[in-house]
Amino acid sequence: MTRTTRTRYAAVVAVAAVALSACGGGSSSSSAGGDSSEPVQGGDLTIARAADAISMDKTTTFDNNSIYVMQQMMQPLFTVSDDGSEVQPLLATGYEVSDDQLTYTITLRDDVSFTNGDPMTAEDVKFSLDENTATGSDGWGFVNAAIDTVSVVDDQTVTVALKYPWAPLIADLSIFANGIIPADYDGQTAEQFYEAPVGTGPFVWDEWQRGQYLKLTANPDYWGDAGPYLDSVTWTVVPDANTRKLQLQGGQIDIDDTPDWSSFESLSSTPGVTATAFPSTRMDYIAFNQQVEPFSDVHVRRAIAFAIDRESMVDAVLYGNGEAANSLLSPGTPYYDESVEGPTFDLDEARAEMAQSSVPDGFSTSLLIASGDPNQASVAQIMQSQLAELGIDMEIRQLEPTANKQARLASDFDMTISAWTMDIPDPDQWTSFAVDPEGGSHSAFTYWDDQAVIDLNQQAQREIDSDARQDLYTQIQEQAGESAFLAYLYYSPYAYAMTESVQGFQVTPLGNYPLAEVYKTP
Amino acid sequence: MFDRLRFVPIRLLQSIPVVFGVTVVVFFMVHLLPGNPALVLLGQSATPERVAALNDQLGLNEPLWDQYLTFLGNLFQLDLGQSITYQRPVTELVASAVPITLSLLAYALVLSLAISIPLAALAASAPGRVRDAAVRAFTLLGQGMPQFWVGIMLILLLGVKARAFPVGGYGQTPAEHLYYLFLPALTLAIAMSPTTIRSLRASTINVLGSDYVGTARSKGAAGIPLFRQHVLRNAAIPTVSIIGVNLGYLVGGSLVIEKVFAVPGLGSLMVNAIFARDFPTIQAVALVVALFVVVVGILTDVVYTAVDPRVDLASQERA
Amino acid sequence: MTTTPAPPGVEVTETEAEVGTTPGSPPVDTARPVRSRTLKPWYRNGTLVVGLVITGALILIAVFAPLLAPYDPLQQNLQQALQDPSSAHWLGTDKYGRDVLSRLIWGARVDLRIGFLAVLIPFVVGTVVGALAGYFGGWFDTVVMRVVDVFFAFPFYVLVIVLVFVLGAGESSIYLAIAAVSWVAYAKIMRGELLVAKKQDYVVAARLGGMSHGRILLKHIAPNVMSQALIYAMSDIVMDIMAIVTLGYLGLGIAPPTAEWGSMILDGQEFITTQWLQATIPGLAVVVTSLGLSLLGDGLSDHLSPERRK
Repeated sequence: MTRTTRTRYAAVVAVAAVALSACGGGSSSSSAGGDSSEPVQGGDLTIARAADAISMDKTTTFDNNSIYVMQQMMQPLFTVSDDGSEVQPLLATGYEVSDDQLTYTITLRDDVSFTNGDPMTAEDVKFSLDENTATGSDGWGFVNAAIDTVSVVDDQTVTVALKYPWAPLIADLSIFANGIIPADYDGQTAEQFYEAPVGTGPFVWDEWQRGQYLKLTANPDYWGDAGPYLDSVTWTVVPDANTRKLQLQGGQIDIDDTPDWSSFESLSSTPGVTATAFPSTRMDYIAFNQQVEPFSDVHVRRAIAFAIDRESMVDAVLYGNGEAANSLLSPGTPYYDESVEGPTFDLDEARAEMAQSSVPDGFSTSLLIASGDPNQASVAQIMQSQLAELGIDMEIRQLEPTANKQARLASDFDMTISAWTMDIPDPDQWTSFAVDPEGGSHSAFTYWDDQAVIDLNQQAQREIDSDARQDLYTQIQEQAGESAFLAYLYYSPYAYAMTESVQGFQVTPLGNYPLAEVYKTP
Repeated sequence: MFDRLRFVPIRLLQSIPVVFGVTVVVFFMVHLLPGNPALVLLGQSATPERVAALNDQLGLNEPLWDQYLTFLGNLFQLDLGQSITYQRPVTELVASAVPITLSLLAYALVLSLAISIPLAALAASAPGRVRDAAVRAFTLLGQGMPQFWVGIMLILLLGVKARAFPVGGYGQTPAEHLYYLFLPALTLAIAMSPTTIRSLRASTINVLGSDYVGTARSKGAAGIPLFRQHVLRNAAIPTVSIIGVNLGYLVGGSLVIEKVFAVPGLGSLMVNAIFARDFPTIQAVALVVALFVVVVGILTDVVYTAVDPRVDLASQERA
Repeated sequence: MTTTPAPPGVEVTETEAEVGTTPGSPPVDTARPVRSRTLKPWYRNGTLVVGLVITGALILIAVFAPLLAPYDPLQQNLQQALQDPSSAHWLGTDKYGRDVLSRLIWGARVDLRIGFLAVLIPFVVGTVVGALAGYFGGWFDTVVMRVVDVFFAFPFYVLVIVLVFVLGAGESSIYLAIAAVSWVAYAKIMRGELLVAKKQDYVVAARLGGMSHGRILLKHIAPNVMSQALIYAMSDIVMDIMAIVTLGYLGLGIAPPTAEWGSMILDGQEFITTQWLQATIPGLAVVVTSLGLSLLGDGLSDHLSPERRK
């Protein structure tokens, strides 16, 4: 008999995480919207950011600047809540899971049309999910690895059959890559289609001058209750942060995407400008290459993890807008556990660990960073002077960003700085990458291999009960912290600055910002 | 006149091996860059396996020599290939960037002449005096300032403090283009002026001492009219070749300046393509820039021949 | 400036070797007061003396940096970051609380050292190749000049930057990249000089007198033609320093935390709206250095080859 989980709205994720994620970012001032005034219709919203979008192909594009744009046009069946803790239905109305947890039956809204006028049906959903699955490892298909088949039941119902029980499925379906587009690309080739994509979203494609600006206009027939209020949205490309700041202050733009933390304070005190730090899922960390001695020695790793003064890094790098990291997961990620104690700054503890280690008198090593990244340069220089206290002579090795990635993938480093940001509202994407050598990255290129943690991770993938999952992820966070296979640095929020006329602008911890309900006051 | 332009086809022929050499150097150099496009395209979820698979799909695991021949073959059909990053014809990307960089350079050239001609005339009017020394000090300082730093200082003074000009971008209408490109063009103009001033000053002194200026003077010509009618044209001749050489150098300068001012021209395209390891785009931009330098070189000599009846490059080429 | 417009030496060669027979073609490279036409002892040559004084002072600062700098340039004090100039820190502190003046002084060490060392290889390679090409002509000359053309068809910076990308950031990469790119200018200058010199009476006479090519090149030609290459070397050092600073600015230079002017400008640019001194001061240091070297170059050219000027 099928266990009828009556249309479970948004129950996917542990409620425990909700409260915790609220405290994510640092000095998050009141969100830009929030006052009770009536939404105003009309106007163009200009968002300036450092780099252009690359492509609108949702299944093969890994670039955030592209993703944030395509999400305004193409919508998935489910979406993440504003605080990142829950998954809610979007184009779907709900789902049921079979007893063996191998079949998900998803019901669809019946009032949704594409911007070409055609109604959205189960055929379109099957096509869209299959399209993504087919990209395999060349695109986001790996997210759908657990899916066996997608079948159409009727116009408003699809079933997803799994190869094995897979708890993150609904979270996976909320990724932009599983966004719904018209079946058979609306009669075009994939390339033609993604030149000017069609979806169900509040905005439609307008034009793209590569390297200069990308523009979307409002979808007048949007199915949603609210919005879009704006006539159009324009993303401009302004690589220099100072320039963006001056443009915002001069009223040339409405939103400055990622102002420098150094100017965040002065921006928030500028009249007419709001600077907001939205909680993110980003966690910056130091990775130790365990193939290089002495990093296979847990005491060495713990000594370094204890020796890093995270608070002063948060102050120097993020100008206080962030938090020292305590866990493998970030506060914006479901199942984050605040009580986990990853090594925190404690010089005595660090010395004690060094004394127990294979290199009690210190050693020479290097830290690989990407050139031209001021934050990494800051972390490296602060760390260098702190490790000197332990007798560790750390050289800073700079490689141009792409060469840096190459070296990281080849595990050609002693220590390196990196960061992770979640793409789906489920910890599995990151934990499988970080703790399971089978994830393809040799445990985030550290060559850490701990069978107990690997087992816990695999259990969590199949555990559908959220309390039981919480328990598993707490254990993973504890054991990962103890082993110090990574030294967690800090959680940094997303920085945005905008003029006071911008209302309702919200960024989820996954980084996306739905613009349907954003409006500008005159 | 046409007879004297016989050197043009010869120079064009001579530039073929040069451009060919450029393609070889660029092709092999960019493929020596550590890293590959897949690393960039796959973002944080890149794993060695997935990177290898994507590179394979992009045809980047073929022997380098085969890839070069393909590149060359396409080039003969005027096909610059497909941008790996944008999945679009490179020609399209280059075509939208070229006018921006060209107008920036032309703008810079105009501004630099507006700076150089008066200053050179001022200096040449009293060689060795205070104003000459002042102009010389300007040229020495101008030569000694890193271009990107001049850009930052102009942003600071005219953008941040005076709020007179936008500090970056390109604008959307022609009037906006002029306004937005002013600071970057001025930066390049400041870089270009010192050598132009020096050359113009020296040749002006030379021309001022010549017989026909003496004759003009004896007929009552003086001041600015004398300078404009009799001196400038003759003094400009050697300067033309200097400007020609400088334009070639400035293309490189615009690379860094476009970064400082966020101008979406060839320089930005090139820098982004290098970071993304977008090989076809890097090759195309390098090729366009090299062609530009070659063409400017030839044009310089054409102008030179046109303004100075004494030059006969055609006979020199034969010699 | 980033792409120093045609260095003086190159212009001379351009005009003389390519269009050089233009009658009445005026000298274009060094605008130098016309008064000083007569040969004077070096110490009466104001330009040369000022250039020597500035350059000498900078070299002394670089050499004695450990004694002159008030603080350790690497010593961080995060509690005292981004301070305005004060009696304790004359030029303020950077974002890590390091003393800016001390970093400026130590930066002179790095930038001058690389600037001076980086000209050595291209100077030697370029002059030798150019001299051989100019003296012997023939196919060797043709090949060399085509290669030179290929290099000239690239903007200097594009080449240096891409080479540093290929070789990886760091001091040795900078030397290699600059050497690979800038030898062509010396080759072009020397070839031009040789084309003129080998037709001189004394060379022709020596050749008729049965002297070997090697002896002629070394004994008779080299002393007379080296001066142009030397003068160019002065402006080349300026170009190299610009290149190092630009690489530092692009984050491709010397690894942090070493003090270097370009990376100081890069670090300071972030604070341009609040602490504008941070980006301005190291830039001024570059300007003063280039000024000293340019004056030195001009002075040398007055002194070594006055007959070239009118």
